[in-house]
Parts: sequence; C-alpha cells; structure tokens
Amino acid sequence: MKALTVENLRGGYSEVDILNGVALQLGIAEILVVAGTNGAGKSTLAKAVAGLLPRVSGKVSLGETDITRLPAERRARAGLGYVPQVANVFPSLTIVENLAVVEGVADRAARTEAMLTMFPALAERRKSRAGSLSGGERQQLAFARALMTEPPVVVLDEPTAALSPALVGESFERIARLAKSGTSVLLIEQRARQALAIAHRGMILDGGKVAMEGPAQDLLADDRAARLYLGQ
Amino acid sequence: MIPFIELALNGIVSGLVIGLAALSITLVFGVARFPNAATGDVMSLGAFAALAGASASGTLLIGGVFGIAVAAFVSLACYFLVFQKLSSRPPVASLLASIGVAFVIRAVMGVVFGHQQKVFDLPLARPWRVLDIRFHPTDLKISLAALATLVAVFLILHATPIGRRMRAVADDPSLARVSGISPRRIMVALWLLSGAVAGIAGILVGIKTVVTPEMGWDLLLPAFAAAIFGGIGHPVGAVVAGVILGIVQEVATPFVGFTYKIALSFAVLLAVLLIRPKGLFGTVAGAR
Repeated sequence: MKALTVENLRGGYSEVDILNGVALQLGIAEILVVAGTNGAGKSTLAKAVAGLLPRVSGKVSLGETDITRLPAERRARAGLGYVPQVANVFPSLTIVENLAVVEGVADRAARTEAMLTMFPALAERRKSRAGSLSGGERQQLAFARALMTEPPVVVLDEPTAALSPALVGESFERIARLAKSGTSVLLIEQRARQALAIAHRGMILDGGKVAMEGPAQDLLADDRAARLYLGQ
Repeated sequence: MIPFIELALNGIVSGLVIGLAALSITLVFGVARFPNAATGDVMSLGAFAALAGASASGTLLIGGVFGIAVAAFVSLACYFLVFQKLSSRPPVASLLASIGVAFVIRAVMGVVFGHQQKVFDLPLARPWRVLDIRFHPTDLKISLAALATLVAVFLILHATPIGRRMRAVADDPSLARVSGISPRRIMVALWLLSGAVAGIAGILVGIKTVVTPEMGWDLLLPAFAAAIFGGIGHPVGAVVAGVILGIVQEVATPFVGFTYKIALSFAVLLAVLLIRPKGLFGTVAGAR
C-alpha cells in the first residue's frame, strides 16, 4: 500500500491548467522530492494535494482512502500534514497557540509538549508571538504545527526557501529523521541536489507534467537531469 | 472646567458603546474580510427585541438576554442567507449586500415596531455628585455592562479554543484550513458573537437614549470610524478608538453643536485614512 497516490491531476487557479496530468506514488516512510524550474507547477501540486487549489480534477488517495472530494480541513484531519512555502505560521498567535489551534489531535497537551521537546528553540519562546520569530524558528514552528496530528504523510513546500545557508542542512536532516520515524514526505524543493541526497526517489516537473522520475541517486547521476533541471 | 469633565465622562460612556459596535464590525472584518454595514441595524433590532422581552417578562434582565439572543441569531441568519453565498466574491459584494440587509432589517423593524421613539421602563435615579461633577448611576451601569462585554469577548478570543481558532482564521484562512480548522464552525461562532455584541451595544444605546429603527444606522459611521481608527481587524484598537472618539465628540459639542458632532467622525475617518491607514494598533497585514 502507498501512503499517498496521485492520479492524472489537472487544474489551476483560473481557466488555465498549471498541472497537466501529474501522477505520483509515495511509499510509506519514503521521501519523494519534486523538483523543477520556476513555474513548473511544484507549489501548485502541493496545494492541489493539500486541497487548496480552486479547480482540480484527477484523484488523490491517502493510503486507501480517496480524499479527492474532501476539503482541505478534512484532508488535514484525515492525516495529511502540509507546510506552505510562505505564510506558514499564524503571526498574531503565540507559539503554543499555533500548536493548540490544530484540530484532530488526540491528546493536545501531551502532543504540544512533545513538539516543544522536539524543537527546543520553540520551547524557550513558547509565549512569543509567531510573527516575532526568525525565519528558522518559523520553519520549526511550521513543522511542529504540521506534525501535531502525527500525520502519516507530510507535504513540505520549499521548506528551505526562507532559511539562511547555515540552517538548510539542519532542515534537511530534520526531514530525513522524520522519514526514518515512519512519516512519508512529499518534498517540493528548489535545492534539488541537496534534497535528492536525502531522498529515496525524485520527480522532475516541467510545464505541469512529470518530465523525469526515478530513484534519487539515479536522477543525481543523470546527465540530462543535471543539465536541464538540477544544475551542475 | 467641570462641564467639560462631565462631557468627557459622558463621552467615555458613549465611547464604550461605540467601541462595542466597532468591536462587532472589526470581528467580522478580521475573519470574514468585509465591513458589515448591517451592524447598526442588528444593534437596533437587539434593542427592540429587548424592549419586547422586558415588556413581556417584566424584567430588563430577561428582556436583555432575549434581545441579545435575537440579535445573535438574526446575525447568523444573515450569514447563512446572504454573506456565505458571497464569500467567494470580492469583499465589495458583501459590503453592498450588507447595506441591503441593513435596509431590510430597518424596514421590518419599522413595520413591526413602528417609527415612534420607545424607551426602556427604568426607575428614575438622581445623579451622583462628586466634587460638583454629576454622574448618572445608569451611565455607570452602562459602562460596567460594556466593560464586562469587552472582557468577555477578549476572554472568548484569547482563552477558549474557538476564540483562538477564530484568531487563526483571521490571520490566515488557508493555513487554518490545512490545520484542520473548519471554516463553517468558525463562521457560525463569529456571526453569533458579533451579533450578540451588536445586540448588547444596541440595548445599551437604547437604555442611554431612546430606541428607534434608525438609532443603529445613525451610530454606524462613528462605529466604522472607531474600527478604522483602532486598526481594522484589531479588537483592542476598536474599543480604545471608540472611547477616544466618544470623548472627542462629547467635548466638542459646545463648540460644534449637537447636530454637527457626527461630522467629527467623518473628520477622524478621513484623517486616519490619509495619515495612518493602518490605524492606532493595526499592522500592514491587518489592514489588508
């Protein structure tokens, strides 16, 4: 059984399709990197899977459950975590409130403490408003918020985009640990080489279609992928 | 000097009530993203329903609870019948619709309750005198009721799960949805809360002055001015701005006259929009 299956996904924000029949399968505890040039449809794919794309057709399944017709909030409660690229925390809420508002959490207090233990930098500032956090701290809070429900699948949209180079490696290590703990990760990333280095498989989008896909190491070694999409 | 102190005290009372109306407006704006012009008429409806309830039960307390409940449920009905259907349209569609809703509510009130002024049947009380400054006991009760309402709203927003989720939706509706928060539940809570707050504001205005179908509409502009002055979508700002506006209006009355004090609301509105569009407490994000 796959953790997440996407079949023939089409759609966009208005009349024009940005996704043109994307299909993917994400295994349990697997990291699948989605790379591609700007405008390839990577973030649109993440939004479509999370249920935030206004117009979409095709099929999205979480495990064996068809979630295509579920709104975003029910997909989240069904076990799909999503961390947007930007605007990924509630700025006027404190760190603890950002975690406490998440619905579908069995033991909220225990889970909040578990998240604060996992991210010690957040524990030190638990009463601070999220809007006052640094880029790295925001990213940690966004991770923690998405993990509150212990989701089997997490979609991360460019998690390193707003981070300083020093924090990028730390972020990738965290993602690798997440997968080792049993969570499946759909990782949308612009830093494709670094992302593929920790991933099991990779996929390259071009013009809203899957241009290439395969094991991460094969993609890293592929001359065409390197030349056209990954950079040398 | 004493007359000005009395006017300022009166301004604080009026300002607290304006602040309540502004709070109702800013709650809706913060979450549903449009200025609800029907707020004033929900206020009037709350006052009329409280009058009817008090008259039927013989007690103001039961009448007040009835008035608040009617305002809250009419507010929720407006959401389900009108504003929910317009939620995917630009905010101006909801604003224009809310003006229409306001006219409908006012027209119905005119037909049902008539256009004559009505008053709450309250026992006469002599004003208190402290250092030659007069203050009416009813004004103190109105202020305490307004303050209690404000405290209750802030507790709901900051100390209850539904309040925190309302603030989350106000911050970022999409992020709230992917956090599992149901927009429908939040909207139900929001419209009930904003309607109840408007109802309380209407009842307090009715107790302080008289009840007419137009009373809420007449207070809409100062309430909008306070909501913008305080930083739209910012509950604390709305109340603080309401009090400031109330004091300014009352203290200015000897100079500009009773009829023209409302123009000060326009002046404040214009000045804030020109000089500091985000208001006293607002942020750039909050003013979107």
